[in-house]
Amino acid sequence: MAVSLSQSLIQTSLPISQGAEAASYLRSFSDSILKVYKAQLSPESPPILLKYRFKKHYRHPNLDLNLTRSRIAGEARALLKCLRSGVNVPGIRMVDATDGVLGIDWIDGQSVRKLLPGGTEDDGPDDPENQNDTQAGNYNDLKEYGVSVDGLMKMVGIEIAKMHRVDVIHGDLTTSNMMLRHPKSFSSSVTTLTTELVLIDFGLSYQSTLTEDKAVDLYVLERAFSSTHPDSEPMFTSVLAAYANTMGKDWPAIKNRLDDVRLRGRKRSMVG
Amino acid sequence: MPGKIRQTPLKSADRDYLALGLEGSANKFGAGIMKHSKDGSAIVLSNVRHTYVTPPGEGFQPRDTALHHREWALKVIDDCLTKAGVSMHQIDCICFTKGPGMGAPLQSVALVARTLSLLFNKPLVGVNHCVGHIEMGREITGAQNPVVLYVSGGNTQVIAYSRQCYRIFGETLDIAVGNCLDRFARIINLSNDPAPGYNIEQEAKKGKRLLPLPYATKGMDVSLSGILSAVEAYTLDKRFRTQEASADSPPDEDIITPQDLCFSLQETVYAMLVEITERAMAHIGSKEVLIVGGVGSNERLQQMMGIMAQERRGLVFATDERFCIDNGIMIAQAGLLSYRMGFETPLAKSTCTQRFRTDEVHVAWRS
Repeated sequence: MAVSLSQSLIQTSLPISQGAEAASYLRSFSDSILKVYKAQLSPESPPILLKYRFKKHYRHPNLDLNLTRSRIAGEARALLKCLRSGVNVPGIRMVDATDGVLGIDWIDGQSVRKLLPGGTEDDGPDDPENQNDTQAGNYNDLKEYGVSVDGLMKMVGIEIAKMHRVDVIHGDLTTSNMMLRHPKSFSSSVTTLTTELVLIDFGLSYQSTLTEDKAVDLYVLERAFSSTHPDSEPMFTSVLAAYANTMGKDWPAIKNRLDDVRLRGRKRSMVG
Repeated sequence: MPGKIRQTPLKSADRDYLALGLEGSANKFGAGIMKHSKDGSAIVLSNVRHTYVTPPGEGFQPRDTALHHREWALKVIDDCLTKAGVSMHQIDCICFTKGPGMGAPLQSVALVARTLSLLFNKPLVGVNHCVGHIEMGREITGAQNPVVLYVSGGNTQVIAYSRQCYRIFGETLDIAVGNCLDRFARIINLSNDPAPGYNIEQEAKKGKRLLPLPYATKGMDVSLSGILSAVEAYTLDKRFRTQEASADSPPDEDIITPQDLCFSLQETVYAMLVEITERAMAHIGSKEVLIVGGVGSNERLQQMMGIMAQERRGLVFATDERFCIDNGIMIAQAGLLSYRMGFETPLAKSTCTQRFRTDEVHVAWRS
């Protein structure tokens, strides 16, 4: 069988789990139900990130094929829509829906999860001392990016609102799925900006104008915050404040729905 | 994993401990006796259960289920004590399900627990049902710190332990997976004996075609109610034939059988559950997964989870129906753990509640 172009590209690229970037990039894909590679389309071109949705053998083959195809296509479509509307997302470099490969711009930086307290917990959950060290490290890291926690939360809120304004629903908003560009790799026309927040991993995204879907999107993020970062409430409040500000007149409806969704969440614990 | 091994806050037993566990949050009444020996081992002395089975097409109503529990409670407890060969006087504590579950059945069981506690002057320990499942699963399989997929008639949660709490990473946004399967079994009139889910599993083995159903994962959460509606809609499709009618149709005719629907439903919802579990494993970097709850006894789900774990070079732990499906022994196990940490439920507070989230429990016995 002839090896497809995408397959040969994968074979020549560097799996991220083995690369030097592993520490910063690997778990930023909560969606590591796929393989991630760093590749170059040509020797001179900047690096790109390959997301390879390899076959999942636990799923029925037909189901798997359909899901892979629609997820790759959906992801590309959502990214494109975001790019056109000025939401910060990685640019698309290649799409191969049949083989399940998507190539996007490589982003130099760090996931928001790692920059917030508690986000590095999984690196050493059994060692409280180590945990304290890494938490101290978080704040230093943030300084390196020239933003405060509150400033970062504001950026998160604004970016999500920009995305929701063009009716793109991310579907898997977590702090792992947001990256801060490293100041060294970032040059902006606005001199006060040292970095920018980039939303990544649109693997579960879809388009919807419904208030319900936007509210659920926010709810997923709220839950991600509370399960990953201790004492996240004030952080999420400032995310919502910035979100509300950017959404403008659409906010009250989404807020009401978000309150509904939260109640729905509580009901779940009812029976056993 | 680097780093030192943490000391467990649970002191080794200075003597043998015995606990009676009473469970009745849904349609099963269970009683079990757990022994924690001096040498650190936990022994199941007995584990007895009686299930309230309703006719095909019917679910169990709270009122009737409570009646069933009241009728069977004393017989089951008696049987359980006889099998264990212990008397009530030897028991250290009486553990009962505080919640979550159906109100009326929970109350019936709490009443039995309270009465026994007063009669024999034994302390009460209220237990969270979900934590009971997790602790029993850990004890039986020996899994140390797994990601837990808890799937039953009333719950669908992906749970992981962190800082003395079982945190919920993902769960269902509407109905539980067992509820989805049970209700579909009712639609196609499958028997509830021994369990609707078991009969769906048997039917699914005869299914051939995978029909498109919604695939609704939202982050680490799933939504199942839409799938139930979609699969129900197929039963109104003009290609749908019941079992008897499908036998008469020519082999090449385009038909949908109940078996195909069972197969499609299982494949789709289990793929979703395995996916969110995998996502949670990736998120927290764990290699172990433990399946608990009634639906956890489904062999197809265990098989799919096994393949996923293998691809990640992880391990899957599952138990059989004795410990997966609601039982008394798991309440005894979780209750005894907290009793040994000094926790007791005073009589005045021995209430039960329909809403009791897994993450509300302080897991004092783990570090």
